[in-house]
Amino acid sequence: MKSKLLLALIAITLTGTAAAQVKPEDAIKFRQSGYTFMAWNMGRIKMNVEGTYNKDEVIKAANAIQAIANSGMGALYLPGTDKGTGWEETRVKPELFTNKEGVGKVAGAFVKEANEMAKVAASGDAAAAKEQFGKLGASCKGCHDDFKIKK
Amino acid sequence: MSSKRIRLWDLPTRLFHWGLVLCVVASIISGQLGGNLMEWHGRIGLLIVGLVAFRLAWGLFGSTYARFAQFFPTPAKVRAYLKGEWKGHGHNPLGAFSVFGLLGLVALQVLTGLFSNDDIAFVGPLADLISRDLSNRLTGLHHLASNLLFVLIGLHLAAIAFYAHVKKENLVKPMVTGWKETAHGESAKGGGLVAFIAALLIGCCAAYGASGAWLPEPPPPPPAAETPNW
Repeated sequence: MKSKLLLALIAITLTGTAAAQVKPEDAIKFRQSGYTFMAWNMGRIKMNVEGTYNKDEVIKAANAIQAIANSGMGALYLPGTDKGTGWEETRVKPELFTNKEGVGKVAGAFVKEANEMAKVAASGDAAAAKEQFGKLGASCKGCHDDFKIKK
Repeated sequence: MSSKRIRLWDLPTRLFHWGLVLCVVASIISGQLGGNLMEWHGRIGLLIVGLVAFRLAWGLFGSTYARFAQFFPTPAKVRAYLKGEWKGHGHNPLGAFSVFGLLGLVALQVLTGLFSNDDIAFVGPLADLISRDLSNRLTGLHHLASNLLFVLIGLHLAAIAFYAHVKKENLVKPMVTGWKETAHGESAKGGGLVAFIAALLIGCCAAYGASGAWLPEPPPPPPAAETPNW
């Protein structure tokens, strides 16, 4: 009995952040939800930089993307979640789990552009927002190209 | 030595060829860079739709050497060519495979592209006509086929280099000037102004059809649906 408790204690201590870890299926769901939610906001910015520019709309959308970008989504790429189904089957490539340096680079680029997008949105400069929106989109592509399975 | 030359490639064929070269290069660059260039990627795609449709029409009623029937690679012609007995002008039987292969692959690229989405902020002009799932599949095909296109373009260039260095025949010059120096053979005939205008119209119609400009305007949004303002 005692030894079991001790074992459990050791296990918790060893895994450290284990308490914060989510189930694989949930992790994949959270990933997909994050990207889907960003897609809504990318669409909002696109509508505004192509049509009539509504500063407040763009600020809201850019802030949402910035928040997700800075949420540390990397934590959702648990070992073993290269396969699995969240809302749908994951489209992550196994390379994302092996090429740590490559992922870090594209993820860092995305966070940087997302932060910049929020900054530009706050300024209310429509032309600058359009340009930054392009850079942000290109940084999404950086990861899609190498780490997302094309159906 | 009776130096003679024949009219090989008519002007529309040459304009098509170099127009396609520019468009394909531009579409590759814009597609690879992404971002705001995706808008241009889409526009260039429509231009390519027009060019390919024009060429298909021109292959039916253009001038002699531009016609598909003239250079269609029948087994007999291919055998003769491989034995070195082919004496024609224009696309040789192996080159014909390259023509049909490149045209077909470019057509596949624009057709899939029209229905594609980049999962970021760009959708092809006709993507709304199909389900998202099918659009994703076509996008995958679009990416896959682009690799094949690189291979075919490489082969095309390699063949030109081979002809220039080994067979001592400049294939590029006739494609620029339209003339080929040769002691025998006849100049291209046909493909007059009427045929050109017809092919041009077909090209424009195809580009218009691909642009989705004919799609009904999405119904105007109901007067700003009342949503919570948080």
